[in-house]
Amino acid sequence: MSNTTTTTNIPARAWTGRGLARERWHGYLFLAPTLLFLAAVIVLPLFHAFWTSFQRIRGLNSTFVGFANYVRVLEDEAFWHSLRVSLGFVSISVVAHVVLGLLLALALNKITFARTALRVLFLTPWMVAAAVGATIWLWLLEPQFGVINYILQSAGLISAPVAWLGTPGTAFAAVTTVEIWRGVPFIMLLTLAGLQTIPAEQYEAAEIDGATTWQKFRFITLPNLKYLLVVASTLDIINVVRHYDIIGIMTGGGPAGATEVLPALLYNTAFRANRFGEAAAIGVLLLLMVLIFAAMYLRITRVGQEDDRR
Amino acid sequence: MNRTSPLGQAGLWIAILIAAVVTVFPFYWMLNTALKPQSEVFLSPPAFYSANWSLEAFRTLLVERPFARYFLNSLIVSLGSTLLSVALATFAAYGFTRFHIKGAGALIVFLLFTKMLPETLLIIPYFRLMSELGLINSHLSLILAYSSFALPFSVWMLIGFFRSIPLEIDEAAIVDGASRITTLWRVILPLARPGLVAVALFTFLISWNAYVWALVLTTDPSMFVLSVGIANMVGEYRVQWNELMAAAMIAAVPVMVMFAFLERHLVNALTAGAVKG
Repeated sequence: MSNTTTTTNIPARAWTGRGLARERWHGYLFLAPTLLFLAAVIVLPLFHAFWTSFQRIRGLNSTFVGFANYVRVLEDEAFWHSLRVSLGFVSISVVAHVVLGLLLALALNKITFARTALRVLFLTPWMVAAAVGATIWLWLLEPQFGVINYILQSAGLISAPVAWLGTPGTAFAAVTTVEIWRGVPFIMLLTLAGLQTIPAEQYEAAEIDGATTWQKFRFITLPNLKYLLVVASTLDIINVVRHYDIIGIMTGGGPAGATEVLPALLYNTAFRANRFGEAAAIGVLLLLMVLIFAAMYLRITRVGQEDDRR
Repeated sequence: MNRTSPLGQAGLWIAILIAAVVTVFPFYWMLNTALKPQSEVFLSPPAFYSANWSLEAFRTLLVERPFARYFLNSLIVSLGSTLLSVALATFAAYGFTRFHIKGAGALIVFLLFTKMLPETLLIIPYFRLMSELGLINSHLSLILAYSSFALPFSVWMLIGFFRSIPLEIDEAAIVDGASRITTLWRVILPLARPGLVAVALFTFLISWNAYVWALVLTTDPSMFVLSVGIANMVGEYRVQWNELMAAAMIAAVPVMVMFAFLERHLVNALTAGAVKG
């Protein structure tokens, strides 16, 4: 994990041999295929998306309408509703990912038996396709024959079967639960790696001083992990706010828009309502949000890099 | 720090076991349902274990439904994007680590940026561009799309591996008269093999698991990949849950097997790569 905090110092060790100056431009030849490819498959479509957001598209005809799509989107209550749903979905998911991921990593770090096997096991929800995980949960949550209703009824927690995805509140809870189930392993994995970089001497010294388990966690583990946790949550926010697959499979944004996070609103506006211009405008607004967190991420990791150099 | 009281150890294991059950139960239920005969799927109370487990649902999927075709499509598309992005990433990572690149920092930030774009935004222009090019319902459109979001990550991860190979090795090869390409091919790549395997695997998994791109870029059922085939079954009027869970297994089990074998590689690469970007 020693190299986890470096970001932009890639060409730190330039070759000092005499060949370097002569072939300096050769480096760009090696980069060219990747850069051209990304220009064609990312940058071009991205510009196209911006361009689309200024167009009204009717079949094959499109007319330039300036900011009309943005105005329409921002005046539409559906967008603000969707933004609130996204905020709820992202904040609950990310907090749960971090808290549960941290706890799980602390627990796994304490045990010695079957650690690798357990780590693989706990990673399963994250490595399997989100679309597949969501499909399995659809069956677990099925109102009439789903096993979750059966278990909850047997335990006396509910008196009648619940149509989890049929009512707004429970549907939101359900998709959030699935997102939490899927995302915890990612934070666990990073935290576990981070825990292993904390010097054992710090704990030994604390034990000599008679520190309690809580004190060790509060004054050694947490400060050592702080940077990693901030970076990991920022990454997690970026990942969850863009994520579509789970909600796309489980509810498609319904019922009554209760789970229509921004990517779902975008998808539905584009591919169900065929309003590509407005969808692109929603996408650009979503992109701006992602960029705020991306900028935060860059800032934080750069700060971390300076810390390393000290 | 590992000195915990027996009581603490017991509590720890109880907590871990509860977490393990919550994590894995959905997969057990997938297996359990996939193996049930049609007659037992809608039993109430549901059977947690059946004496009549059979492969009937798998047979239906592969014989009566086009899941073999979906599997093949997933395989073609995932292998294609793995080859493409690992090849491109190898050159790029070599360029980044072996040469003075002006603006390397900005390029790295650009790679990071492309990794963070919302895919639902890119799908709109993709869909329209691919329609204009007549590439809807082609493997190529998916290979291009998957490579586009796997490539930045591959470059990231490979940079890490290439940096761990001393520059003196390149120097020695070049002094012996090898060209840069020969050096990369004959000297660096063999040394970076564990890294390449991890990157290839990761790209494969990203492509194998992708959903929404294929959902939009394929409309012809013969071109569906597994995830879209599964989603399509979810939308059917009367869902055959044992077949659906068998389909989920066909999509999930290859991932689990690959991951179990290469966990260490992948975890090291991911923890380094993910925190870096």
